[in-house]
Amino acid sequence: MIARDRNWLLIFVVCVALAILYPFLADGYQLTVIRDALIFGLFAASLDFFWGRTGILCFGHAAFFGIGGYVMALVTLNDANPFGGLLGIVGAIAGAAFVAAIIGYFLFFGGIRGSYFTIVTLAMGVICQQAAVSWSSVTGGDSGLIGIPPIEFDVGGRNVDLSQDLPSYIFVSAIVAVVVLALWSISRGRWGTVLTAIQDNEVRAAALGHNAPLRLLVTFILSAAIAGLAGALYVCMAGLVAPDLSGLLLSTEVIVWVAVGGRGTLLGPVLGAIFIQRAQQTISSFNPSLWPLLLGCVFVIIVFVLPDGILSIHARLRSLFKGRRQA
Amino acid sequence: MSDVLLQAENVGIRFGGLQALEGLNLTVRDKELCCIIGPNGAGKSTFLNVLTGTLRPTSGSVHFLGRDIAGLPLHRIARLGIARKFQIPSVFPSLSVEDNLKVARWGAPSPARTIGELMGLVALTNRAATLAGELAHGQKQWLEIGMALAIEPRLLLLDEPTAGMTPQETLATAEMLLRLKGEFSIVAVEHDIRFVRALNCETLVLHQGRLLRSGPFRDIEADEMVRDVYLGRR
Repeated sequence: MIARDRNWLLIFVVCVALAILYPFLADGYQLTVIRDALIFGLFAASLDFFWGRTGILCFGHAAFFGIGGYVMALVTLNDANPFGGLLGIVGAIAGAAFVAAIIGYFLFFGGIRGSYFTIVTLAMGVICQQAAVSWSSVTGGDSGLIGIPPIEFDVGGRNVDLSQDLPSYIFVSAIVAVVVLALWSISRGRWGTVLTAIQDNEVRAAALGHNAPLRLLVTFILSAAIAGLAGALYVCMAGLVAPDLSGLLLSTEVIVWVAVGGRGTLLGPVLGAIFIQRAQQTISSFNPSLWPLLLGCVFVIIVFVLPDGILSIHARLRSLFKGRRQA
Repeated sequence: MSDVLLQAENVGIRFGGLQALEGLNLTVRDKELCCIIGPNGAGKSTFLNVLTGTLRPTSGSVHFLGRDIAGLPLHRIARLGIARKFQIPSVFPSLSVEDNLKVARWGAPSPARTIGELMGLVALTNRAATLAGELAHGQKQWLEIGMALAIEPRLLLLDEPTAGMTPQETLATAEMLLRLKGEFSIVAVEHDIRFVRALNCETLVLHQGRLLRSGPFRDIEADEMVRDVYLGRR
């Protein structure tokens, strides 16, 4: 247990060090590519916080990403808003959390678990995307909303403008690092241990005095809130929001990122998201139709060969050799 | 009257056309130990489920410290001070022994025992870091009893605590319960007569959902009717 925590912190520190070194090695365009990948990494970590700890898969997590994005767009495009992007971020987090609270309340207290939960959240994602398309007076319909201003704020008298590559890269990296570290502390402590217990045997946990539905609900809300934050960040970096951001494709992609990176590790999904998006860009550049095929194959191989994700490759190899030697 | 902890009055339960329990009464006083025995299908586990509030009786009532507990959420019942050990050992397999006890302790309103004391009590001190899923069957049973103790219960309900245990483990479990008897009330549903004999306490015999006999175990053991129905068939 303690060795595992130490390993996690070690990998975390290495990742942070790489993130700090990267601007010295990369040009502005490469920085923005990694920045956007990191935002999706944050989104993947938010799904992992819920899926990895409760074992319940949410198949419509992009709904919260999209809600965060649309709230951000609507708040920042409103001329009456004096606080700009920062208010947008707060609104995005609150909006995603609010929707998760309502849906989650009925699902968790209604005893919906397992694949039923997955199916209902799948429908939720489809509904959100459809609402974004159909409610065109507010959401801009299929074409979405454009011209979302970048975040700008003052720190100690200095103006920080996130339309520039380096500041926006640093801003996003810092948020991802802080959120992932916070989620990790929550999930390895008392909260996470009780969640694991609920995952093992919910009735038993309740018979010991734990309010299991409430705990699942709060975890779900927190997870959705972070997905909303990721959506808001993406929208203000990209400058536009479209119905795809709450769509089924993104919901599926984020599941693949988490599965490839390693469910329950929080850091793995971030790396998985970066890794897969880089691979996607590289492979699509010489053959666009090859990518979905490869992604599908990689996913199947990971599920069979490395069910705990790419971060577990070291442990997996070790146990494989150990088994050989004993035989 | 003030030392009455649990009072079940005229409890009956019907599953469709089957009358599983009928007209059962039970009063458990503070720091009392009692056993419920009976052949398979007598309704022992069903009665225990009613006593823990998991099953709502179709007639009659169950009061704990004067409060009707039927239909309360499980975690509220636990927080009132009713601990329960399930028939199938239900520990948390992917947590260590220590974490299992911690989870149990965190659920308690005011835990008194430390994790170390609990592990000593159920003889698992040297298995603290072992995953509960890897424990032997008897150790899982003991761990679960330890988890039930962790919530500082006023009443401990045990559903076949010695199921699957070796004779030595069964007797050791009985000894442990006799040691704990002074702290809280215990109701045990049991199948194994050696265990009930070792506890030597007030005993209820159920048969086909009704009370057949009740009294001290020595009298029950000598009762012809009980022998016919239950002991004689062993």
